[in-house]
Amino acid sequence: MPKQILIIDDEKIVCDMAQRILSQEGYEVEAFIDSTQALERIRGKKFDLVITDLKMENVDGMDILKEVNQRYPDTKVIMLTAYATLDAAIEAIRERIFDFFPKPVKIEDLKRSVKKALGF
Amino acid sequence: MTIRNRIIIAVVIQAAIICLICVFVYLSFNTVLSKLGVIEIIDDLNISLLEVRKSEKNYFLYGDVNALKEVVERGEEIDTVIQSSKADILKSLGPGTFNTLLSNLNKYLDMAREVLATKKTPVKFEEEFRNLGHELTRLSEVLLKRERRDVNRIISTSITRLIASLGMVLLFQLVVWQYFSHFLIKELAIMGNLIQMVSQGKLHEVAKQTFSPKNEIDYAIKALADMARELEKREAVLLQSEKLASLGILISGVAHELGNPLNNISLIAQGYLGLYDILGDGEKKNFMADVLTQTERISRIINNLLDFSRQKKQELREYEPEDIVERSIALVSNQIKISNVKLHKFLQPDLPHVYVDAPQIEQVLINLLINAIQAMPAGGDLTIDVGQDMTNGNLVVKVKDTGAGITKEDLPHVFDPFFTTKGTKGTGLGLSVSYGIIQQHHGDIAVESEEGKGTTFTVKIPIYQPKEREGDAQADIDH
Repeated sequence: MPKQILIIDDEKIVCDMAQRILSQEGYEVEAFIDSTQALERIRGKKFDLVITDLKMENVDGMDILKEVNQRYPDTKVIMLTAYATLDAAIEAIRERIFDFFPKPVKIEDLKRSVKKALGF
Repeated sequence: MTIRNRIIIAVVIQAAIICLICVFVYLSFNTVLSKLGVIEIIDDLNISLLEVRKSEKNYFLYGDVNALKEVVERGEEIDTVIQSSKADILKSLGPGTFNTLLSNLNKYLDMAREVLATKKTPVKFEEEFRNLGHELTRLSEVLLKRERRDVNRIISTSITRLIASLGMVLLFQLVVWQYFSHFLIKELAIMGNLIQMVSQGKLHEVAKQTFSPKNEIDYAIKALADMARELEKREAVLLQSEKLASLGILISGVAHELGNPLNNISLIAQGYLGLYDILGDGEKKNFMADVLTQTERISRIINNLLDFSRQKKQELREYEPEDIVERSIALVSNQIKISNVKLHKFLQPDLPHVYVDAPQIEQVLINLLINAIQAMPAGGDLTIDVGQDMTNGNLVVKVKDTGAGITKEDLPHVFDPFFTTKGTKGTGLGLSVSYGIIQQHHGDIAVESEEGKGTTFTVKIPIYQPKEREGDAQADIDH
C-alpha cells in the first residue's frame, strides 16, 4: 500500500506542484489549501507524513504539528515556511518536527527528506 | 505707501492747518489791538472836546475870557492829536468827514482866537460858535461809535472763524482716525486670519499668499507667508521621514511576503524542468501562465510599498473609508502574519464617504496598526473597528490591541513629538505626525489605555458633505 502524504499550504501552486511531484514518486497524496479543512481531515484519517506551511490564516502550521503529534505519534511532519525565523525553528524542533524548509524549497531536497521520513 | 509715510503726511497736514489758524488769530488780534489804540486816541479826543465845550459853556455863562483861552489851548491840543493820528482817523472816517472835522475845528478855533484878539463878539457869534462845537462833539462821537462797532465786528468774526477752524481740525482728525483705523483694522484682520490659518495647519493657504508688500503690515504678512512656506517644507520633510520610519518596519514583512511568490516561481521552474518530458503542451503553457501571475504578485507587493514611500502633495478627494482601511491593512498584513497577532476586522456596511488625503490617512492607520502589533510581542488580538459616530455621523476608526498598555505617566505624552517608549527603535514622531494629519483633516485622534489590558486609539474624521466643503473652500479663498 502506498504511503499516505498530506500537504497543507495556502499557496495553491505549492499544493499542486508538491502533489504532482510526490504522486510521480509513487506516494498517495492529498492536498489542502484551507488549513481548517486539513485539520478536520487529520482528525478523520491517519497519514504517514504531513507537509505543512507554517504561517496560514486561522489554523497555522504549529497547530497542525501539535494535533498530529498528539493523535499520531509516529506520523512525521515536515514544515515549509517563507517566514523562517530562528524562534519558529526552535519551537518546531521542540514539537518534534522531522524537517524544516525555508522557502524557496528545492524539490530534490524535499523529495530526499520525504524519502527519509518514510523510511527508505 | 508705508504706514510711516501716511502718518507723516497726516501730521504735516494737521500741523499746517494749526499754523494757518495761529496766523489768522495773530492777525485778528493785531487788528483788534491797533483798533483799540485808535479808540483810545478818539476817546481822549472826545473827552478833550467835552472839556472844550465845558469851557465854551463857562465863557457864555460868565463871560470869562480865561475860559475862552482854555477853549483855544485845548482846541489846539486836539488839532495836534488829530494831525498825529491822521492816518487812523482818516481810515475810520473817510476823507470827506475827516476834512469836515478838521475844517470845523479850525473854524471854531479861528472864531475863538478872533474874539480873543479883537475883544469883540461879532453878531450871532454865540449861536454859530455853539453850533460848531456841537458839530465837533457829534463827529467825534460818530467816530468813536464806528471804531467800537469795528472792534466788535472784528472780534465776532474772529470768534466765528476760530470755531469754524477748530471744527475743521476736529473733522480732519476724525477723517484721519477713520482712515487709519479702517486701513489698519483691515490689514490686521488679514494678518489675524492668516495667523489663525497657520494655527489650524492650513499652511498651504498661507504660503500661497504672494504679493509685493507696500507697507509695514504687508511686510509682516509676507514674513508670515514665508514662515508658512518654510513650515510647509519642514512638515513635508517630517511627514516623509516618519513615513520612511514606518517603511523600515514594513519592509521586513514585505521581504517575507515576497518569499511565497518567489517559492512558487521556483517550484514551477523546478517542476517544469523535472517533468518536462511528461508534460503536455497545455500544461507547459499553464506553468508559464502561473509564473506570470506570480511575477505580477511580486510587482504588486513592491508597487504597494513604493506607493506608500513616495512623497506626495496633499490632495483632498472623496474616498470610501473601506478602501483606505483595506489598503492600510494590506500593507501591514505581513507584519501581522509574522507576528503572533490575530487581526479582527469590523467594517460597518454602507459607510459614508470621506473627503481626505488617502495616503496620509493610510499613514496614520498603518502607524496605529504597527504600534498595536509592536505592543503585543507575545501575540494577542488586534481589532480594527470602523463605524460611525451616532451624534454627528463622523467616521470612527478604532484600533485596539491587547498589549501591555501605556502607563498613566506616559499617556498624556503619546502625541508629543520625539516621545517614545520603544527606546532607540522608535523615532517618537509616528503619533505626533498622525496627530498633525488628523488635525489638518478637521478630525480628532484620542487614546485610551489600561496597563496590562491594552490600548485603544480612536480616530474621527468628518464625513463628506459636498456643500459644506465647498463653502469652506470658498471661505478659505476669501481670507
